[in-house]
Amino acid sequence: MNSENTAQTEGSHAYPRAAPLELRNVRKQYPGAARPAIEDLSLAIPAGEVCVLVGPSGCGKTTAMRLVNRMIDLTSGEILLDGASVMERKPAELRREIGYVIQQIGLFPHLTIADNVATVPRLLHWEKDRVAARVAELLELVSLPAELAERYPAQLSGGQRQRVGVARALAADPPLLLMDEPFGAIDPIARGRLQDELLQLQARVRKTIVFVTHDIDEAIKLGDRIAILREGGVLAQYAPPDELLAAPADEFVAQFVGVDRGLKRLALSRLADVELLPPNGDHAARTVDAATSLRDAASLMLADGNRPLTVVDGDGRAIGRVTLELISAALDRRPVAR
Amino acid sequence: MTAPLPLAAGAPVIPDFGRGSSCVRDNGAFCWGWVGDHWGDTLRPALLQHLALTGIAVGIGFVLAFLLALAAHRRGRLTTPVVLVTGLLYTIPSLALFQLLVPFTGLSRTTAEVALVSYTLLILFRNTLAGLAGVPEEVRDAARGMGLTQRQVLWSVELPLALPAIVAGLRIATVTVISLATVAVFVVNEGLGAPIYAGLQQTFKTELIAAGALCVALALAADGLLVLLQRALTPWTRVARSR
Repeated sequence: MNSENTAQTEGSHAYPRAAPLELRNVRKQYPGAARPAIEDLSLAIPAGEVCVLVGPSGCGKTTAMRLVNRMIDLTSGEILLDGASVMERKPAELRREIGYVIQQIGLFPHLTIADNVATVPRLLHWEKDRVAARVAELLELVSLPAELAERYPAQLSGGQRQRVGVARALAADPPLLLMDEPFGAIDPIARGRLQDELLQLQARVRKTIVFVTHDIDEAIKLGDRIAILREGGVLAQYAPPDELLAAPADEFVAQFVGVDRGLKRLALSRLADVELLPPNGDHAARTVDAATSLRDAASLMLADGNRPLTVVDGDGRAIGRVTLELISAALDRRPVAR
Repeated sequence: MTAPLPLAAGAPVIPDFGRGSSCVRDNGAFCWGWVGDHWGDTLRPALLQHLALTGIAVGIGFVLAFLLALAAHRRGRLTTPVVLVTGLLYTIPSLALFQLLVPFTGLSRTTAEVALVSYTLLILFRNTLAGLAGVPEEVRDAARGMGLTQRQVLWSVELPLALPAIVAGLRIATVTVISLATVAVFVVNEGLGAPIYAGLQQTFKTELIAAGALCVALALAADGLLVLLQRALTPWTRVARSR
């Protein structure tokens, strides 16, 4: 550990730690396969950012993720975690420093929730009291009631199990978290809630996260940066969501992000983020909260005969007006990183 | 049997058959009195020998089958040959197998144990292997991904999850061996097979019935104990699926 971001080596998340990750000319060729699963992938993820790997099935996104914690070994190239090559580490020791969450979660059915969460701390020989305190802390962090600690995974709902999976991955405060379609098997409503919770969690723990999904909307919602891969692990574009939607690098990316990319981009900004027209005291106009996304504001106006909306702040005071033209103009501005 | 004693003066003309209850004298269908009289000198020793024969056979069989299953779990291509050999052993009629072994190990307890062990191998091997194979792939993947070594995955994840299948195998093997061990009387005069065999040779049937009933009771008790053992070891299999 040598970067500023990783000075903290003890478990408490009071001192968040995260490490940068870099893939350099990574190639993975399975024996007997005609073409490499990943041809030549280079990608740098700054410490504390969420990088979403997204692409159609067979694009190598899961393979790329599993190369990082050596669940699969690469054919050539280099993967650097906090500047040190993962190939020089013992796989089991490396993995204890990298949180790992998979779609099927893979909780241990024969262990209680508390024992599941305690897995990595125990592998690292933490003392009993410290493990117990950490388990309690983590259940609270992922908003699970403490009485679930002594239950078995079979007694929990899908959403609760997924939260336990995240808590288990965070147990030893790893500088990097790998998440392979963690919400893929969850129903859409619960999925949206889990995504929101992950964002809130990330705001507190600030980990470097590699998140794999095939859902571009999930990628846009969660990613600080999105890496769109095409078949053979070729990096089609690597950019923050706003830039990706504003300026797709090619036809493949444009198609992948969807013809509604303009609307998706509007969803990324709130009325409070744009320069509004001055309020004109039109009391007949409908009002809308400043926290509303540009997309929802546009939708409201389209449904209401293209009449401008009065934007109000949290106390209900009018702070400006918004029109469809203004929103359209917002799409012209240069993309910004979130 | 015992040489006839010279009749002493004043001795009763009719030989003394123990307390000689009327049931035994009348050759009753089942005489509790006989059971009480011969518990100490016949039934109890036979039961204990039977328990030993079974325990040793299942114990050795389990160790062998367990090691074979671990090897086959790691190298799948070992499975077929092991199943073939243990399956072949399993099909040999028990009476024939005991006799086949006599030229090698004689009329001894070893002969009995070798034969009994060979009948446990197929069941214990297949159940242990099936239990290990039944561990969900995502659980194994998560275990590896969190940094458990191969040995830790085996001992703290795969084997605990295979326990129900392993104990199920132990139950079948134990009950089978308890029943088969009575046939061991043809090579060694031990176990409940001895009073059963003796009972077959005479018209008085209490000895046969009592020994047979003990054999059944032993099987039921052993099976019940294994069920309790499994419950104690696998609490997670009994939790209510509340949601």
